[in-house]
Amino acid sequence: MVRFKNRYVLCQVVAEEPRGRPCIEERAVGSAVKDAIARAYGDYGLACCSGAGPAVKYLNAYTGTVLLRCRKDFYRLLCSALPLVRQLESRGLRCPCFLSTLHVGGTIRSCQKFLIQYNRRQLLTLLQNCTNEDERQRIRQSVLSCSLTEEQSHSGEEEEEEDEDDGTETD
Amino acid sequence: MPAEPGPVPAGGPRPCPPPGDFHSEQQYQQQKFSHQSSGPPYRKDQYFPREQNRGERGRGRGGWQGGHQSASEEIPRYITVSTFAQARAAEMKAMLKAVTQKSSNSLVFQTLPRQMRRRAMSHNIKRLPRRLQEIARKEAEKAVHQKKEQSKTKCRKARRRHVNLVAEFNRRQRKNIWLETHIWHAKRFHMVKKWGYCLGNSPTEKCYRACYRAMTNHCLLQDLSYYCCLELTGKENELLKQLARICSIDTGLTFRVAHCLSGRFQGSLNLYRADRYPEDALGPVTFIWKPRDGSENRQLWIWMHPALKQDILNELKEIFQCSEPEKVYIPEPATTSAQEEEQMDVVLSLGKKRKKKDKEGEKAVPVKKIIGDGTRDPLQSYSWISQTTGVVISDRTMEIIRYRLIGPLSHCVLTETLKAASLQTMADSESELNNWWVENCKDSEKVSLHQRQTAIFELLEGISSPSEMPPGTILGLTVGDPRVNLPKKKRKTMPDPEKYQDNDKVRQLYLEGVPVECAHSFIWDQDICKNVTENKISEQDLNQMRAQLLVPGSQLDLGPCESKIPILLVQQPGKMAGEDRPGWGSGWDIYLPKGWGMAFWIPFIYRGVRVGGLQEAANHSEYQRTPHTPNDFPDCPAGMQFAKELEATLLEKFKRRPPAKRANYIKLGTLSPFICPWEQLTKNWEGRMNASEEFICPSPPHAENCATEGNGFCDPEPEVAKEASPETGEVEETMEITSTEGAIKREDDPGSQNFGERDEALTRGFVVLRSKKLLMQVAAWCYPTSGKDRRIRLISRLGQKEMTEDVFLPILMRYPRALVWVSLSLLRKGNPELHAMICIPTEDDLLHLSKDKLFCGPQEPKHRDIFKKKKKKKMEKEEEKDNVEALESDSPSVLDEETTEEHEDLILGLWPDTLPDVTSHCSRTLLGYVTRGDFSLAAGCGEALGFVSLTGLLYMLHGQPADKKGLVLLRTPASLQYRFARLTIEV
Repeated sequence: MVRFKNRYVLCQVVAEEPRGRPCIEERAVGSAVKDAIARAYGDYGLACCSGAGPAVKYLNAYTGTVLLRCRKDFYRLLCSALPLVRQLESRGLRCPCFLSTLHVGGTIRSCQKFLIQYNRRQLLTLLQNCTNEDERQRIRQSVLSCSLTEEQSHSGEEEEEEDEDDGTETD
Repeated sequence: MPAEPGPVPAGGPRPCPPPGDFHSEQQYQQQKFSHQSSGPPYRKDQYFPREQNRGERGRGRGGWQGGHQSASEEIPRYITVSTFAQARAAEMKAMLKAVTQKSSNSLVFQTLPRQMRRRAMSHNIKRLPRRLQEIARKEAEKAVHQKKEQSKTKCRKARRRHVNLVAEFNRRQRKNIWLETHIWHAKRFHMVKKWGYCLGNSPTEKCYRACYRAMTNHCLLQDLSYYCCLELTGKENELLKQLARICSIDTGLTFRVAHCLSGRFQGSLNLYRADRYPEDALGPVTFIWKPRDGSENRQLWIWMHPALKQDILNELKEIFQCSEPEKVYIPEPATTSAQEEEQMDVVLSLGKKRKKKDKEGEKAVPVKKIIGDGTRDPLQSYSWISQTTGVVISDRTMEIIRYRLIGPLSHCVLTETLKAASLQTMADSESELNNWWVENCKDSEKVSLHQRQTAIFELLEGISSPSEMPPGTILGLTVGDPRVNLPKKKRKTMPDPEKYQDNDKVRQLYLEGVPVECAHSFIWDQDICKNVTENKISEQDLNQMRAQLLVPGSQLDLGPCESKIPILLVQQPGKMAGEDRPGWGSGWDIYLPKGWGMAFWIPFIYRGVRVGGLQEAANHSEYQRTPHTPNDFPDCPAGMQFAKELEATLLEKFKRRPPAKRANYIKLGTLSPFICPWEQLTKNWEGRMNASEEFICPSPPHAENCATEGNGFCDPEPEVAKEASPETGEVEETMEITSTEGAIKREDDPGSQNFGERDEALTRGFVVLRSKKLLMQVAAWCYPTSGKDRRIRLISRLGQKEMTEDVFLPILMRYPRALVWVSLSLLRKGNPELHAMICIPTEDDLLHLSKDKLFCGPQEPKHRDIFKKKKKKKMEKEEEKDNVEALESDSPSVLDEETTEEHEDLILGLWPDTLPDVTSHCSRTLLGYVTRGDFSLAAGCGEALGFVSLTGLLYMLHGQPADKKGLVLLRTPASLQYRFARLTIEV
């Protein structure tokens, strides 16, 4: 069986200014990436990526995570063009930002798995660096809320589990 | 704050953060504000220096508060940890959800890479990797569950064992009652569940034309046992006095008509709620009186369609004040009460309800169900009695089997299948088989009656078609077991020319019909029926006896053991109205006691009849041009219910198509393709009439009115049409005003007498015109006057008046919102469909028609879809709304939201609920709708049946030239082409 192989590039939009958040939307990111490719590789590059070209498969404006898809043959082309993205433009607003590549994967699933790992790592570091007790509580809560199985459990159990989590996290 | 996750653009199965995320963020932000004032959060800046370069990437927007651009410069850079963490957590959760979901359709162990596969993995879960064991366990459980369901039934041999089979059948007919011929039908028909029964819809074989041919040339058999029978018992006067309230002499027959009252003929009529004629129709029924037999109590059977039963039963109970069930009641003929009690017992013992009613039947072995009625609750009683008048209403549904034979050779089939019972004087002492018949044979009077009945029945063979008998003739008979003389091979019965020789007696039969005495049958006696049902020789025994015959294949002679079955034969008149094909579709109905269904069915089949289902019944009534129950009774509750169900199914079918492939009914100018808006049609016509009346009324009484009124009728019409833009609110308002004015003006009109009635009609929607006299009148007006001079002949025949407004204005006053049943036949091309629109042709159309021989009809100009934009807008708005929410601007205008909500239920190509003026929506004025239309095999052209507004019809006839009277245009819902058709009313 032969299938059409893709590469999925998971990157993060890092805005230089906080106001940039509303700019992060599918269309803006897509056009910015295309622009960058056109600038770097010209028409050839654009054509390489046009058919099943870089399509934004997933975007989360709150964390700035973007999942781009391109053909397997040309993913280097895309990756090398990504640093050239300097700004996002939407609705007349333009905000300077850059894209940092987190992961390149062969399936969406693998990218999702990576994202879970990545986010978990981030949360843990956050928890470790936390000084304020109040904040620590909140981070714990959010860490708790992100697992699927604990959704149904009640508040009483949560507290117990919190302690457990704490233990594992600090390890 | 938005309620939905905004920022992730819509579309695609992407995981998105759960909705709760935002709320929490807001909370945190609020909390953050408080923190800000107190101070501590500022410190965070210092605590995150290491993380700053990494955290900087995306988290700024999470932490930075607000979008206040002016302030943003001054605010020091810092991060709110909670929101940052919250956003990450939400994403993780979404991803986790996505990852844990199994994406492929395969089993778990199939998704493993090759090298990890192990032998017997599907059998033993523990061979799987641990992480997959949980999922695999779930899958395995599911599979096991499925298998269990299948294996619940035993092997085929066990399932087919008689005991189990019967038990299974009994279980399956708990919800929907089976007719006795169910198994036979289920093997050959598409079955549908309707009205609490399982009925054959149409045969699985291709037989549309063959069934038509059977109806015209041979014989079509139909099982009508699902029709409901209500039996009324009481004194004749009491019955008639109350029954007169629910029917009207206007519509033709009443229960009182002499030839029906004697029991000689079957009658058919339309019932209304008590004293409510012409409104509140209940539906059509047929009725049979039991011939007088000396006692003062009369029995009356009212047969109706099951869809109408509850309404009619409730109405009957009300008018006879029969509230309490039979239980309380003890007097009255002991025969019925005993029966009643037993029925009650059967009903009360819920578990074994409706099993065969003899006592032996209550063993562990399940007994085949013989009676039962799906339209009734098991705990409900069968019969009710009135304390004041002593009238008993009992529900005899499913107690009597009714077959219908349609076609000219139906009595050939009858006479060949049924043989009159032989006389019997010796009783079989040990069994009670036939003891009623023996008893009967002792009475010489009854014997002679039986002989006369037999003689008449045998004479039937000499008649070429059942339509030659007087309509509704009843013949009672007692016949032998029809299974005995079953032919060896199935073949078509053909009339025997020799039988026609018997001229004298046949002629006498034509002229005099069947005498009253011969209408008597023992089927009226419930005891005898019960006896006959219980003492039926089973098929098995009969076959055994056949096998023991000395000469195999010779005629079986049961002698005294042969069952005698009382039956009732009732002639069905067929097509009586109209000029062409008189008597088409006539036939015989045969009524049998229950339990004997299959015993009569198979012999009929062996005589080469064709069997039809509901579809064929509908075709039969279509070719007869009679309204079909309950489809064509829009004014009775069952008809409304039917229309609603039909709309739902059609709409569902419509929605199943992809939107791009659907017909856009708005562009086609079809306001309601799935239901006929009768109420609005009549209302709009009334409004138009009142609007035009303003022009007439000021003119002094009928002197030079012809010209002025013509103007009055014609002038306002284009105006209304012009104004009938989508926003018809104004027009309707003016109509309202004029209608009230018209009402006031009408009071000094001498022609109108019954204002009370009229006002009531106003409040309560439409009625269907069923008054014979008025229909006759209107029918005469529908014929073209010049040309072949047909109308003059008709007028002279019917004694009708010319069409002037002093004749028809009173009709309009009396029936401001009435519908008329009409039949249409297309002049040239065209095949009408369900819900096709009947429209009035303009003068140009008629002119064009007379000039151009090949003119098929005008075209409707394409309409503009005014809702398309709104729908698009709505979709865009939804998208925008998300974005707007992402921007966190609280500006979304309230107005916009309201408009989108207003068109929430827009379906592309269909009008939303509120329709504009239906009559003037298209270029031709709408008159009515078709309820049944098809290519007619009988007429060789497209034919349709439907209702038109009486007001509209009269208006149209008034304006049309003499030789073009009754020409209308037909347009199917999914077409722009109008076709010419001739409208006739058949009475």
